[in-house]
Amino acid sequence: MQWWCAAQGIPWSWSWRAYPGVWIFVALLGLAYWRFTRNTHVPPQRRTRFALGVATLWIALDWPVGALGAGYLASIHMVQFLLIALLAPPLLIAGLPTAALQRAASVRGVSRLRPLSNPLIALLAFHAIIIATHWPGVVDGLMGSQLGSLGLDLSWLLGGMLFWWPVISPVPHRPRFPFGVRIGYLIVSTVLMTLPYVFLTFAQLPFYATYELAPPVGGLSAGEDQRIAGLVMRLGGGAILWTAIGVLFWQWYRAENALEV
Amino acid sequence: MLVLCAACGQVDDGVDRSEGADGLRGLELEETFEAADFSLLDTQGDRFDFRAETEGALTLLFFGYTHCPDICPVQLSILDAALTDLAYVQRQQVKLVFVTTDPARDTPARLREWLDGFDTSFIGLVGELDRINEIQGEFRLPPAVIDPPHDANAPDAYYVGHATPIIAITGDGQVRALYPSGIRQSDWQHDLPLLLALNSTAAGASGGQ
Repeated sequence: MQWWCAAQGIPWSWSWRAYPGVWIFVALLGLAYWRFTRNTHVPPQRRTRFALGVATLWIALDWPVGALGAGYLASIHMVQFLLIALLAPPLLIAGLPTAALQRAASVRGVSRLRPLSNPLIALLAFHAIIIATHWPGVVDGLMGSQLGSLGLDLSWLLGGMLFWWPVISPVPHRPRFPFGVRIGYLIVSTVLMTLPYVFLTFAQLPFYATYELAPPVGGLSAGEDQRIAGLVMRLGGGAILWTAIGVLFWQWYRAENALEV
Repeated sequence: MLVLCAACGQVDDGVDRSEGADGLRGLELEETFEAADFSLLDTQGDRFDFRAETEGALTLLFFGYTHCPDICPVQLSILDAALTDLAYVQRQQVKLVFVTTDPARDTPARLREWLDGFDTSFIGLVGELDRINEIQGEFRLPPAVIDPPHDANAPDAYYVGHATPIIAITGDGQVRALYPSGIRQSDWQHDLPLLLALNSTAAGASGGQ
């Protein structure tokens, strides 16, 4: 039995399989949240956001999405990426209570991490992680082992947290970046994410041995699967980022209106 | 004997991608040998004399079965993608012959339908399992082994352990190279022009004799 989803090379089966490492990970996230917020009043809305973030991670990491993405389909691997790096982090960050964050920010070790919330650093780090974790040698080298697969998933999650922090910036005593900067930050990201999309969608050959040599699922050839992966990144990633851009525009509009009133 | 058997259920990506003496990424045979001269029925029910029907062509011969959950569809899918990338003239010089190792389930109609899912030009052959195993022996491959059913309620649900390599045979009937599972499209794309060049050379040599 595997504790974390990794490529096994065995034929795909729709029979349920248990991945206890994923359950432990999800439980630890919940436990950490409880400890972090136990002396703080947390509005139900924030608790819901955090729970949705954890649920998103659970869906992405557990059977069947986790297993299909780890060893069978590059397109599902890309769905995992979207869920772990682009969808779960903003929900998790938006679920953190500001009072608890204020306390944590005053801790010396945590305050040293502040430069990481600089938009330029976060942007460069996130896209460096995207390129590194989609590099064929890295994917093929990591996906065959449970530890490697865990490392890849964690790097997506940490990269996503880094990426979304300057956009959501939940610490109230630190000035938020202006709306224009945050919107520009996200628009630049949509452009940068075009690069892996182009490589995946228009490549002449399958990039990843893991998925090219995997037992087939759903009658897709490796080439078709890879093209769908590129489209998932382009359309799914674009949908998430443009939704966030739309929300920021709406907030900006409301803020401007409030000032005029 | 070349030990290249793998039961379905295991992908062995143990391919050495360092190029051989003439640059092939497949397992090039140090000493070529004569392909077996055998005859089986094709999916139309017509007799297919292997040597006569493949003379002059670069032939890729594969023993497998249509219910195979991993090796067979992956091997054929990858090869099909590489063949599609060949120029039309080159593509016409290549024949793919698939011999079933599961004649009990692989009826000619089922085999035809399955192969058409990859390429309608792929040739499917059926026969008695004992005869097919004899033919595999002549190609220095181990015999196919029918596993016990993996579902007690479905006696037809079984796997067949079989040799995984695709055998490359030039038009002069010489077995030149083997392509075990783990071969990628890029490997085929690299080797097919080399095999076709080898085929032309062999055809020229045999024509000159």
